[in-house]
Amino acid sequence: MNEAIKIANLHKNFDDLTVLKGVNLSVKEGEVVSVIGPSGSGKSTLARCICKLEEIDEGEIFLYGEKINDGRHSNKELSSMVGMIFQQFNLFPHLTVLENVTLTPMKVKGLSRGQAGELGIKLLQRVGLSDKMDVRPGQLSGGQMQRVAIARALAMEPRIMLFDEPTSALDPELVGEVLEVIADLAQTGMTMMIITHEMLFAKEVSDKVVFMDEGNIIEEGPPDNVLTNPSHERTRTFLRRMLAHFGSQLTEKPSGGNLL
Amino acid sequence: MTLDFTTLIPYLHMFWAGMTITVKASVAAVLIGTALGVLIGAMRVLPVRPLRTISGAYVYVIRGTPLLIQLFLIYFGLPSLGLNLPAFSAGVIGLAINSSGYVGEIVRGGIEAVPKGQWEASQVLGLSYLKTMRHIILPQAIRNMLPAFGNEFITLIKESSLLSTLAITELTMVGQQVRSVTYASFETFILVGLIYLCLTSFIGLMLGIVEKKWQVN
Repeated sequence: MNEAIKIANLHKNFDDLTVLKGVNLSVKEGEVVSVIGPSGSGKSTLARCICKLEEIDEGEIFLYGEKINDGRHSNKELSSMVGMIFQQFNLFPHLTVLENVTLTPMKVKGLSRGQAGELGIKLLQRVGLSDKMDVRPGQLSGGQMQRVAIARALAMEPRIMLFDEPTSALDPELVGEVLEVIADLAQTGMTMMIITHEMLFAKEVSDKVVFMDEGNIIEEGPPDNVLTNPSHERTRTFLRRMLAHFGSQLTEKPSGGNLL
Repeated sequence: MTLDFTTLIPYLHMFWAGMTITVKASVAAVLIGTALGVLIGAMRVLPVRPLRTISGAYVYVIRGTPLLIQLFLIYFGLPSLGLNLPAFSAGVIGLAINSSGYVGEIVRGGIEAVPKGQWEASQVLGLSYLKTMRHIILPQAIRNMLPAFGNEFITLIKESSLLSTLAITELTMVGQQVRSVTYASFETFILVGLIYLCLTSFIGLMLGIVEKKWQVN
């Protein structure tokens, strides 16, 4: 299989603060990778470096064999490689839901209004929001906004999708609808990297789980290993803490299975 | 004392003429000042350091010195460089330059008030800097700017009364002339004040309408 993402010795500092301390990671084409870890562990920064929202200080990032951290790629070229879903959705509030999805296919890829509209409606149907296409994002619930954001990202037909805590800003009852859309997407064979605190979800959809702490990848492997039988003490401590906080919710989920 | 506005009746045409000049000067200054100000504001936010420095210094000087001094420099000062401007032109240019400093800050503030996430989403979706500005940032920024623009236009109309110091027969100057022949100081300046109030109210009303329209959209 092709290697979709390859990260070698990635370092990133914010002023005096070192956030990533030599991260190495490989994601195969079609693989779904979940990244877990405490806040401040560098998970988000890692995703933001991959889509070039952050300049890196040292190391190399390859997407499909192309080195992307040398400043040679335009936003347009990168957008066909990688799409990003943000915790805060970042929808365009002055545009309708449909316009949010169709703007960049028209302005970046040069699709006609008709072509883009067709694509947009198809994608909104896919996330279950075709009835909302003429409203503005402000009238949607958080879950609906995030689904629109996913449709908008897919409209650029990226080969890789990054999800930066896609459900962390949502009310608990809205998390499910978004995870469902992401799980559907995972079924299609898309290469995905999901930063999440939803451990059960990570267990279900991932081919690989990566645990990060203090700017390093501590351990990675199949979800059954990392989530239920971690080999590192730090992973165990983190999972135990997560379970203490969310344990009652976790056991309520029928699809659950056991953690640890 | 009693107020007797009838003494002003023979001079009403002068007030009308003065108001016309005030309106003309203000409209010209708003147009030039806004165009210049948008340019300054754009320079303030563009990721090009020299442009930022120059526009920053411009705003610093314009906002830090009195309009009256700026008018005097243009009208009385420039002739010593061989540049003789008619009073009306000098007045309009002075008002416009002064206004552009403030408009520049309004534009900068409006653009910077758009959340960073909008830039990030645009970048990841493949939009270039200019396309992001044009399709994502400016449409939102202009909405942020509208109330401040209204304030600026109202301020400019009121400050145009300083053009009287350049012997331009705008509304305030007319008031002084009428007062000096009728000695009805109170009545004269009440009327002048009321006319300014009408002009600024009109602007306020117009902007209210525009703002509403944009919000519905």
